[in-house]
Amino acid sequence: MLDDKIDQRRNDHTIVPATEGAPVTTARSVIWDRVVRVFHWSLVASVAVAAVTGFLAGAPWIDVHVWAGVVAAALVVGRTVWGFLGSTHARFADFVASPTVIVAHLRALMAGRAQRHRGHNPLGGVMILTLLAVIAAIVVSGGLVLGGTEKAGPLAFVTTFAVGAAARGVHEVLAFVLIGLIVLHVAGAVFESGRTRENLVRAMVDGRKQIRRGDHLSQEKPARPLFAAGVAGILFIAAAATIAMLSQRPGLGVPVAKVDTFYAAECGACHTTYHPSLLPRASWAALTANLADHFGEDASLDQAATARIADYLAANAAETADTLAANRLRRVDAAKPFTITATPFWRRRHADIADAVFASKAVGGRGNCAACHADAQSGRFYPGNIRIPTEARP
Amino acid sequence: MKLKSVSIALAALVVAATVAVAANPARQAILDGYAAKAGSQPSAARGKAFFFATHSGGKPDATSCTACHGQDPRKGGRTRAGKPIEPMAVSVTPSRFTDAAKVEKWFGRNCKTVLGRACTAVEKADFIAFMAGQ
Repeated sequence: MLDDKIDQRRNDHTIVPATEGAPVTTARSVIWDRVVRVFHWSLVASVAVAAVTGFLAGAPWIDVHVWAGVVAAALVVGRTVWGFLGSTHARFADFVASPTVIVAHLRALMAGRAQRHRGHNPLGGVMILTLLAVIAAIVVSGGLVLGGTEKAGPLAFVTTFAVGAAARGVHEVLAFVLIGLIVLHVAGAVFESGRTRENLVRAMVDGRKQIRRGDHLSQEKPARPLFAAGVAGILFIAAAATIAMLSQRPGLGVPVAKVDTFYAAECGACHTTYHPSLLPRASWAALTANLADHFGEDASLDQAATARIADYLAANAAETADTLAANRLRRVDAAKPFTITATPFWRRRHADIADAVFASKAVGGRGNCAACHADAQSGRFYPGNIRIPTEARP
Repeated sequence: MKLKSVSIALAALVVAATVAVAANPARQAILDGYAAKAGSQPSAARGKAFFFATHSGGKPDATSCTACHGQDPRKGGRTRAGKPIEPMAVSVTPSRFTDAAKVEKWFGRNCKTVLGRACTAVEKADFIAFMAGQ
């Protein structure tokens, strides 16, 4: 208390640069409370998992990626609550500064006389807010991608494929922005560690920093953990309930009708029952017009059966659905208008899969979607439902 | 005494099963129909040779029945698109050759694929006779 008064007085009159402030004691005091520290390293972990699964791992990892995003979102919400109800240096009020103060800090920094802050300095505060905002935006855009293109999650029922595809661009740009911010954030911590001769990374582990004369002083505020837990708890329960409820709604433009049993019996006798939404009307028409020469086999049916199947396919073709498969497979290879495996999208998406996998007994050909896509028959093709049979792996 | 009655019962079962396989009335009618058109007795031996032969005139990817049905009629086969095909042998798949429309449909498609022409009544009768004994 006495030290604080001394500091206060010095603070009022002369500014003591961080490098000159002598430690008041050799003991280090808790600056970052446990909530802040657990939040920080949990966010590091969830962002790392999201980055690895998003940038490097393949599509089947989507569920891990989405859950990493959910955890990051929950952490950001929790940290925001704690920013109002946490201990002194956890509060936004401690580190969110006006532009004037930020510029003044920057000038003092360049002049070599910037004060030492026990919590975040004004520049660090900008970084914290930016990180929280960018992560929140990544989560929201990711939710739109998931809802619009994969027709999963709480936004699937309102998000068109076009919106989801646009959000994907935003999601990816923001992910790169986040990587840049993380680099700056670490660089800032290293710089400030050198400037103030104190290991700030260690401080985020054990929470402790030195108390020095001349430190910028904060207005002490007691943490209100019970209140914060109550607010966060209510927010989490409400959010989880809302997300769970909305996720139950059928996705916008996802075919709901069961695949016609006649079509499934006739065409599914030889191959995977390709969902009618996987090809456009013109392709189905060309296909049904020449069943006598069907991918190197005679698959002819009598006139009535052919007409019935042609009508069914036309009524449920890709133009009637808004799934990823329907949107992308609609662009067929002009030379092979009804060969799904010849479409640019199909080839791109399966480019990394070895020929041996398709040739394996467990798969038995490129056209056998259901060998790996558990939901092939529904036309959904959710990446989380991909399982390449173990015996087919090279 | 006990053993005797068991063996009698077993024998009766075997006979009944054999009769059921051989003499499914629907299959018999289909077979008789083809035989009548052919004007000759069906031959399981000819049917066997037909099944295992390599034919010409059809699509290059499927030049024999075994390409999709496999080398053993009692075991299943696989379509070129990877879908399993139930065994052709009547002893394993008793419903084989009991639906005239279905039989005509598949002879129609597969003969054109493998032989490039429709199969004759002789070939169809022989084929069924062979599979009925398998």
